Amino acid sequence: MTGALGRFLRGQPLGAAGAVVVVVLILVALLAPLLAPHGPKETGFATYVAPSREFPMGTDQVGRDVLSRVIWGARLSLYVGLVSVVFGVTLGALWGVVTGYVGGAADSGSQRVVDCLMALPPIILALSLMAALGQSVNNVILALVILLTPTAARTLRAVALGVVAHPFIEAAEAAGASRARIIVRHLVPNCMASYIVLVTTNISYAIVVEASLSFIGAGAPPDEPSWGGMLAQGIQALETAPWMVFFPGLAISLAVFGLNLLGDSIRDLTDPRLRGGLG
Amino acid sequence: MTMGFRRLARLAALAAALLATIAVPGLPADAQEKPRTGGILTWFDYGDPGRLDVHAESPLVVQQATAGIYSGLLQYDPDEPSKIIGDLAERWASSPDGKTYTFHLRKGVKWHDGQPFSSADVKASFDRILNPDFKSPKCGASLKPMVASVEAVDANTVEFRLKFAAAPFLPSIASAWCRVAAKHVLAKYGDLNAPEAQIGTGPFKFKKYERGSVIEWERNPSYFVPGLPYLDGVKQYILVGGPTQLAAAKASKIMLWDAWPPMRKTQADELGRARTDVDIYQAPINTVFFIYLNAKKPPFDNPDMRRAVNLVIDRQELVAKSLEGAGVPCAILDPKLVGDFALPLDEVAKAPGCRQPKDADVAEAKRLVEKHYPGGLDVEVAVRQVGNYVDRGQLVIAQLRKIGIRGTMKTHESAAGYAAFGKGDFTIIATQDRAMDVNEPSGVFHISYTSQSGSNYGQYSDPKVDELTERALKETNRDKRRLAYWELQRYLLAKGDHASIAVGWVEGWFFKDKKLRNYKPGLTTYDNNTFMKVWIAQ
Repeated sequence: MTGALGRFLRGQPLGAAGAVVVVVLILVALLAPLLAPHGPKETGFATYVAPSREFPMGTDQVGRDVLSRVIWGARLSLYVGLVSVVFGVTLGALWGVVTGYVGGAADSGSQRVVDCLMALPPIILALSLMAALGQSVNNVILALVILLTPTAARTLRAVALGVVAHPFIEAAEAAGASRARIIVRHLVPNCMASYIVLVTTNISYAIVVEASLSFIGAGAPPDEPSWGGMLAQGIQALETAPWMVFFPGLAISLAVFGLNLLGDSIRDLTDPRLRGGLG
Repeated sequence: MTMGFRRLARLAALAAALLATIAVPGLPADAQEKPRTGGILTWFDYGDPGRLDVHAESPLVVQQATAGIYSGLLQYDPDEPSKIIGDLAERWASSPDGKTYTFHLRKGVKWHDGQPFSSADVKASFDRILNPDFKSPKCGASLKPMVASVEAVDANTVEFRLKFAAAPFLPSIASAWCRVAAKHVLAKYGDLNAPEAQIGTGPFKFKKYERGSVIEWERNPSYFVPGLPYLDGVKQYILVGGPTQLAAAKASKIMLWDAWPPMRKTQADELGRARTDVDIYQAPINTVFFIYLNAKKPPFDNPDMRRAVNLVIDRQELVAKSLEGAGVPCAILDPKLVGDFALPLDEVAKAPGCRQPKDADVAEAKRLVEKHYPGGLDVEVAVRQVGNYVDRGQLVIAQLRKIGIRGTMKTHESAAGYAAFGKGDFTIIATQDRAMDVNEPSGVFHISYTSQSGSNYGQYSDPKVDELTERALKETNRDKRRLAYWELQRYLLAKGDHASIAVGWVEGWFFKDKKLRNYKPGLTTYDNNTFMKVWIAQ
């Protein structure tokens, strides 16, 4: 384990840096109740206080501690990112793998559905969903799941089609294995690498979409400590209180940067062409 | 010697003439300049009005969109905003008992479509407004308690018969909401919602309405006051959201910010840094910041729950934070606006819900909530997405949380929000400013407190409030009227379970371009939006 870690650090320094950022993000999210000096919705402080010892990131327009909201925002961002991606990519992956293996009319029909969903601009689709569902964190997750599923289905279908072409699948069929067994025992394990890459790269996408929706007032309710929502509220006082924009903006940038670096490294590690394998 | 004296006399006359032109004490630059015709005044609305029926609607944006199009029987003098003068009525008189008002109408006035104006139009308009089945939250809410009937005596004379002699009658008729519409337009369209139905007798004609974008007026060349208006037109941009409005002001896209929402101090300072060609001023806008509870459904059909909210709401914090201190917390009437009709503020500050520190009130509020909802409760808190309502909503939610009421914010687009509130489709409205139609103590009660009030969104009814309001309205003796309003305010403050909670009177910062001449802010946020005498200097 230590050897593998060492090889990873030496072989993927950028990925290692990304991993550090992600680990910090996870720790901040998990330990938010302990780390945040105040509640994220506590309004008992003076408004527009500049960063100081008492309020390292200042206070906002209704007298909330920005540091506490940035910390709790990590929890919200990670919650939304992880849950939406795990559900969305998993659903999409199963959809793509199964229809890719089954083929025929089922595959063709389902891919037309994917085509329709992917033809819609993502932000328009997300906005429409939020308008229909209403503002809440869970509805943001639902909207993201609907956004992520078709892309995951398309990607994992392609991977599954590549795996299906291998002789061991034919051998399993010849041996009388059922479709379910082939999917579960052979296809899914061989698509896991791609699945993991999709998950890690899409978490940053989900965080950005959530922040974007909250920025335009269509995401989480305004009092939730959403980084995007904090940006939107900070824009209103950009000249007066630039810290309201700077710190949540920095948090989004760091989180997305770290996740992208990590995702890229994992993709590089799992890509057989880059490992000097087949291809 | 004679030549020297003559020369001296000529020099003295010249000097006197020069002095007269440059040193006329007390006269503003406006008065010295000759009005200049031409130019487009640029302005803004905080939201898209959607519907344009000035008789049926109550949002400011509706009044702004149509202000210059219509005339009323009376108006507030653009030159002296506290004075009522004739508009379509050139003179008027009341009977000795004060129960009949006769208005003599101008002759030769034409509607924008060329049709002649007459008393039939006045009768049609006010019959509509006063119809018990017609919901008129502004003009109707003010006039219905007072007016029994309207009759067209002849083509140029209209008579209003009042139920009782009422001091607020003339100020209410002069209100910017009590505009006269054309009988033939009402007959053709059924209402005044459509842009095509905006046919008035005002200084401007309705030119264009691009939803979500802009509303335009153009000069009415046949306006019944010769020489007016000076402007070629008015262009109102629909600018939603504080940052957009401030950006437009800083970029010189608008020449005037005189209406709700007022700028906050931080915005005014930002504008002051960006532009030196504007006059920035602070003023009250005769507007109350209300919180509304729905008294028709749980949990606020329960008086204990209404009392709890009334106790926990920290009005001083809301004014300090959301209005940046520009406001008068707790007052039901503002002494700055209505003088001694308002309860003294030191008395108001001792009332339950207003007194500081709030520990005792919060503890009592918590007890009331726990009595009915031991584990607390979850409620939806509605706000329209205008001004800084979302910020106010967050503050209200934080305050409610102290007593176990867990609020989730539900945001509405402006017009959609009004529609929802009007139907009672809410549990609590975290914030809704209500501007007074007239600078009159009766105004706020007819807007939010009586059973038939125009913005009684909570549909709350207290017969005692209705009775006290009517008594004050009917009282002709000024001192007795003042005492009646004091009794009414004390009753509301002590009982503390009304569904309309006055947080405070709103003030703020505004600006006008230095090139704008003869603009004088009205006593309410609705007056002087006709711009009939405003002009733009070079």
